[in-house]
Amino acid sequence: MNIINHENILKKGKYKNISLKSINKKTAIKLYTFMLNLRLCEEAIEKEYHPADEMRCPVHFCVGEEAVPAALNNLLENEDYLFSHHRSHGYYLAKNAPMKKLFAELYGKVTGANSGLAGSMDISYAKNNFFSGAILAGATSIALGVAMSLEMKDNCNSVAIAGFGDGATDEGIFWETLNYAGLKKLPIIFICENNNYSTFSAMSTRQSGAGISERAKAFGVNSKSIFGNDVCLVNQELKNAISNARKGKGPFLLETFTYRISSHVGTISDENVAYRSKKEVSFWKKNCPIKLLEEILLKKKYINKNDIKNITKDINKEIKISFDYAKKSNFPNISSWQDLNISSSTPTADKLLKDYEEKDFDTNQKIIVEKGF
Amino acid sequence: MYKKITYAAAINQATHQAMKLSKSVMIMGQHIDFSPGVFGTTVGLIDKFGKKRVRDFPAAESLMTAAGIGAAVDGKRVILVHSRIDFMLYSLDSIVNWLSMWRFKSNKESNVPLVIRAIVGKGWGQGPQHSKSLHSWFAHLPGIKVAMPSTAFDAKGLLLESIFSESPSIIIENRSLFNLTDNVPTSPYRVRYGKAAIRKKGKDVTLVAIGSLVIDALKAAAILESEGISVEVIDPRTLTPLDSETINKSVLKTKRLAVADPAWHSFGAASEIITSVSEKQAKQMKANPVRITLPDSHTPMSAPLEKKYYLNKERIVLEIKNLLI
Repeated sequence: MNIINHENILKKGKYKNISLKSINKKTAIKLYTFMLNLRLCEEAIEKEYHPADEMRCPVHFCVGEEAVPAALNNLLENEDYLFSHHRSHGYYLAKNAPMKKLFAELYGKVTGANSGLAGSMDISYAKNNFFSGAILAGATSIALGVAMSLEMKDNCNSVAIAGFGDGATDEGIFWETLNYAGLKKLPIIFICENNNYSTFSAMSTRQSGAGISERAKAFGVNSKSIFGNDVCLVNQELKNAISNARKGKGPFLLETFTYRISSHVGTISDENVAYRSKKEVSFWKKNCPIKLLEEILLKKKYINKNDIKNITKDINKEIKISFDYAKKSNFPNISSWQDLNISSSTPTADKLLKDYEEKDFDTNQKIIVEKGF
Repeated sequence: MYKKITYAAAINQATHQAMKLSKSVMIMGQHIDFSPGVFGTTVGLIDKFGKKRVRDFPAAESLMTAAGIGAAVDGKRVILVHSRIDFMLYSLDSIVNWLSMWRFKSNKESNVPLVIRAIVGKGWGQGPQHSKSLHSWFAHLPGIKVAMPSTAFDAKGLLLESIFSESPSIIIENRSLFNLTDNVPTSPYRVRYGKAAIRKKGKDVTLVAIGSLVIDALKAAAILESEGISVEVIDPRTLTPLDSETINKSVLKTKRLAVADPAWHSFGAASEIITSVSEKQAKQMKANPVRITLPDSHTPMSAPLEKKYYLNKERIVLEIKNLLI
């Protein structure tokens, strides 16, 4: 059997199977542009992060993991929900949330996506149904609740997407989630970006057994594992899964084997931890999703070097605008801590419920303790 | 119109009426669709509203809360039921890391109207894993309202208010209250958060009683009244927000404060209430305030020990008398 896992992928050397058969030229360029945009964004933030120290929040960069967000950006509608882990920037942009509001959020400014209250790990953009959070599998299980609600609606073909890393599958709630999704055939797609490491711990030190996607089948959730840096393949598999979920055919789990070239968090190298080999990092740099797609786009003459230059120029322009916007914006000011945490208005209750006088409570009645249970 | 019904029936009525008032209301919990219906509180819902809105859920408590959050984010108004609060603890991540901070993280753009009904067992040897009241844990947490209804009137009104408000709430219900009756309006109505009830007026001592201890406090106050001691009994109804204004006003008059809290002694709601008064008027008080609570111990099963462990009206009478010495 041809099992896909990190050890086997490394043995294979350079990936040669990328094919444009499943997509047209326009989509191919769209995927490429999205990935390049995300990469340049991350690199620009990395460059500006230290020593300026104006973005004062932990940032988990996703350099090397651009393929899944690109495919989602291509496939999702505004009404679809997307839940992300803490490595969130790709997913945020996948939902067409504005770049400048991402930058402003990192700077803790009032113009940020969440007025600077959430930061990189917890950023959301409710208008476009995008949410994230740092406690791994938690977001996955909330995505299931959305799917449950979507499934209760008439004439609704929206889906919920849960993006997570292999680390999230170490947590029990993840498997509770798969069980219920399979049981109720909910419109949810689970995407595991398996980058082999939960911070520094490799899969092989954390889990035994058949692997994440095989295990999903035991919970009644169809699944597949693929080489995750082939964006065309990721796009094709997600397209099928999403289309099936829209038709009411139930959940799917896609495990995409990919790699985080960045350190776990921040811009300072975590090489000193010595949790991964130089050989491994260089393999994945050679097989980076942008590079793989770019090679075939150039070969098939979908684009030329000049096109790439122009795309890069446009992206850099937007990045500059976003930095300017973030830096020039004001810091937030909070008028009420209480209302920020608990809504002080109750418009629905005001509309539906009346006040009634309470009558005297009978103090003499006996307190009965139920027997047996 | 009012009708005399039990605490359990009031909860049942509130749920039926809420689900009728709005199609967005749904309820989830273990065995909510079976005939006993969580001590009678969910009887009849499945027949009227169907299995999608009335969801029996696997014993996957962490997921249930998370799923409730997700459904609420998509516009549902969700009621979660735990027939034992102890099982709810599997969902602490969902409650603490997600539910409580959802509104905050989104800068008020996304809200989670979700109510958790958590039932605390009492008596018949329920033992340590079926009897703890954890209201002060949750009251400590920003972003979640906590209610402790002591009468059928409050049980119905607070549940309806919670379902139709925009922020999440935890309602802690004590099993010992389920058979108590009260006059309850037949129509849907609201009991507001942060508004204490003065259950009995008095001038010598302010006795704040929480949840299941309200009835014991009232019984104790009646005994004391016959001995010439006038006790004002205040039921805060909700801990977050807490109506410390009403409590402070009462103590300004009585100059003495006791708090009866059906929970462990240390770091609890009783301490918080006493602090909220002491910070304002400690110097004017005639006696040191007193906490009337359970010991800092888990609940024993053995019947005589169980009796000794729990509070009763006699104990409250004694504590109040000590306050007047």
